[in-house]
Amino acid sequence: MKYMIKTVDLTKKFGDFTANDHIQLNVLPCEIKCIVGENGAGKTTLMNMLYGMLEPTEGKIFIRDEEVRMKSPVDAIRNGIGMVHQHFMLVPSLTVFENVMLGNEIEKYGVLINKKSEVEKVSALMQKYHFDLDPMEKVENLSVGSRQRVEILKMLYRDVSILILDEPTAVLTPQETDELIADLKELKNQGKTIIIITHKLREVMDASDSVTVIKGGRTVGSMLTRDTNERELAQLMVGRDVVLTQQNNHYTPRNAEKIYEVRNLTTENIFGKQVVHAVSFEVHKGEILGIAGVEGNGQSELVKLLSGLMKATEGTVSFEGKDITNMWPDKIRKAGIGIIPEDRYAQGLCRQMSLGDNCIAGYHDKPPVNKYNLLQRKKINLKRDEMIHKYDIRVGDINGNVATLSGGNAQKIIVARELSEHPRLLIACQPTRGIDIGSIEVIHKRLLEYKAGGNSIILISSELTEIMSLSDRVIVMYKGQISGEVEPQQTSMTEVGLLMAGIHTDMEGQKK
Amino acid sequence: MNGKIEETVKAVLNRIVLVLLAFIIGGIVIFFIGENPLNVYYILFKKSFFTTTGFLNTLHYAGPMILTGLAIAITFKANIYNMGVEGSLLSGGFIAGILGAQLSCLPSVPLKIICLIAAALLGMGYAWIAAVLKIKFRANEMVVTLMLNYALAKVLEYLTTSVFRDLNAGYVSTKIVSNQAVFLRIFGRSRLTVFFFVILVILGFFYILMKKSKQGYVITAMGNNFEFAEATGMNVGKNIMILMLLSGALGGLAGGGWMLEDQYRYTLSFSGSPGLGWDGMLIALLGGHDPVGIFIAAVFYAGLKTGADSINMYTNVPKEIVALIQSMIVLFLAVQFFQKYKIPLFKKRAKEA
Repeated sequence: MKYMIKTVDLTKKFGDFTANDHIQLNVLPCEIKCIVGENGAGKTTLMNMLYGMLEPTEGKIFIRDEEVRMKSPVDAIRNGIGMVHQHFMLVPSLTVFENVMLGNEIEKYGVLINKKSEVEKVSALMQKYHFDLDPMEKVENLSVGSRQRVEILKMLYRDVSILILDEPTAVLTPQETDELIADLKELKNQGKTIIIITHKLREVMDASDSVTVIKGGRTVGSMLTRDTNERELAQLMVGRDVVLTQQNNHYTPRNAEKIYEVRNLTTENIFGKQVVHAVSFEVHKGEILGIAGVEGNGQSELVKLLSGLMKATEGTVSFEGKDITNMWPDKIRKAGIGIIPEDRYAQGLCRQMSLGDNCIAGYHDKPPVNKYNLLQRKKINLKRDEMIHKYDIRVGDINGNVATLSGGNAQKIIVARELSEHPRLLIACQPTRGIDIGSIEVIHKRLLEYKAGGNSIILISSELTEIMSLSDRVIVMYKGQISGEVEPQQTSMTEVGLLMAGIHTDMEGQKK
Repeated sequence: MNGKIEETVKAVLNRIVLVLLAFIIGGIVIFFIGENPLNVYYILFKKSFFTTTGFLNTLHYAGPMILTGLAIAITFKANIYNMGVEGSLLSGGFIAGILGAQLSCLPSVPLKIICLIAAALLGMGYAWIAAVLKIKFRANEMVVTLMLNYALAKVLEYLTTSVFRDLNAGYVSTKIVSNQAVFLRIFGRSRLTVFFFVILVILGFFYILMKKSKQGYVITAMGNNFEFAEATGMNVGKNIMILMLLSGALGGLAGGGWMLEDQYRYTLSFSGSPGLGWDGMLIALLGGHDPVGIFIAAVFYAGLKTGADSINMYTNVPKEIVALIQSMIVLFLAVQFFQKYKIPLFKKRAKEA
């Protein structure tokens, strides 16, 4: 047996969209394999195919050199593959051993559960793999890290030899992450093969034996971990082949008037983990400030903080001299800030509502659209028609729902809406993610026009080329902190990639 | 406009089909009883829609259900599930009955206004409990409102059988309201009162609120995409409170009105069975959470109620056949309901796949 898992030209299409395009993955027995790539690169699709949750459109999967066709996770477990999901699937009110045995209970007299023998089995399993857990403890009393161990135990009990972990460290603290890596290495020593999906490069370097990089549904690199470094991986992950036509040619001097100031902004996610840590920056008048970083390093949370969807635990935000920390999105918009949210369909638009209704969202308080709190249908339609014309939005049915638009045209509605009330600052988060080149061009053009009018933009994007070609100044985020600031004219992509991987001369100082 | 009209036509057709299905199943049962279903339905509709008194009675019974239907619709449409309209209605009816009896010194118009305002306020206060629990403690409003109904019914039962019991009545009830508080019947032999016009004004107000106003826009946005509503600056917490209070006020008003135009005293069967608040839920669903739809659905449903007695009188079919048809409508509506508002579980699965 050469490879534990081998895929040949594995392809998955959803309609016209190719999520996985001829993926070649080779996993050796008893190794820890990391699969890295940004959100939306196709990692999860690949894993779902390996775990039998999706059926490939084309290509083959070999397990222990034998071709397999898996129709459900049951087939996968039968083939010795176990998966630990990002969101744990545990019953909080049951104990550890009950969770592990769920669905595989040991019976007594055919009807009763043999609790004693179950506890013994689970304890033996814990001892074998050196897991420090109390089988009688209820899962609801466990920390996130321990819950994850219960998930792993569940799979080990089902005697799998290949363990897939989907973003295992997303919810863990740094200490818990270290413990997890130690656990995984122990499992490897005892003969298990482990696949970790992640976009955290430091963990790749710490944990894995080999690494495969996926970008845009394709394998763009496969190497032994000891032959590579974080910088190379970061470049492979974010390097783009999109050619951008719009360029920012009018750099704003850094001594221009400050209009937006963020000081020591800090927040925690719902798991109590600090995801944005003491971030400070300012935006000058007429400037585009780019915020770059590998996804999951706090940019999403930062945008939520700046746009009023998340509360800061510490720090301040001020705009034109006024304190706007922790204001509601409507107040922020009233203060003169436009917001293009990260997720087009979740936060930016409402698919089930008409184009017109979407064109006024967030500004439905203002005249002429709103008169005595009654909405003026004719004025709304007028506004909608203006936007459609100005932004070249292609619509089928003008009275139809937003759901009928393509991604690019839907995004244009958001940009048109947010710029329509002439804000003095625009927070643009992933303004062109996943849309066609034509729409990208229109949006970039409008953003630069807007800047030329003396307004400022905070541009958050995972497309490094977009950031580099539009921004006057770029700050890079790593692990919820700012790891550096560069000027795009004088900086190479490689240098930015380095910062995105958290490699920085005074990194150690910042950590403390 | 094409898309919108098509959608509306589809929704109306859906409902006509389900009502027809219910009647067909009712018809089969009638056939086995040994009567001609068409004849029975003819009597049912003739009495409740095509005689003056019958039609006015139908409108009379539709009144409170229009209000409770609206009360349900404005919350359900925003994806908030206020199951406590029945409770608001009971508390509104109770307070209107007590005040109507106690404040007998007041002249007619002020007394009615006081009774109705008190009913609306108490209905609101009742809904406020669940709204606060939802906003401050994230308690599921569906569970809270549903359970509170029973708690409230027991409290009112206690008050009716002890403190406020009318000892002269031969059954458990509060004192009868004074003559000045009563809405008089003004259309010959029918039960219809002037309160029905109050209801029509309220309906008109809610038509504008839901269809034309900013609040209606917010309701639609919240109902379709909560995250979107929040991200575009609609203060979701504040709006939940507003909608719950509006819903409670409508429920309370429905109860207060029902007290002063039909019941005159609070008894343990004040709202009937299954209860006007619960009927409101059916009507809101049948009417597609749309004010016009709710009006039509309420009148149709009330017509079934009025016609039931005629069936009993003129045929061998028991009037319970109407209850059967009503429950069939509920059953088929439930199917429709789950198609339109997908259960989150299934939605998530579909997304992952």
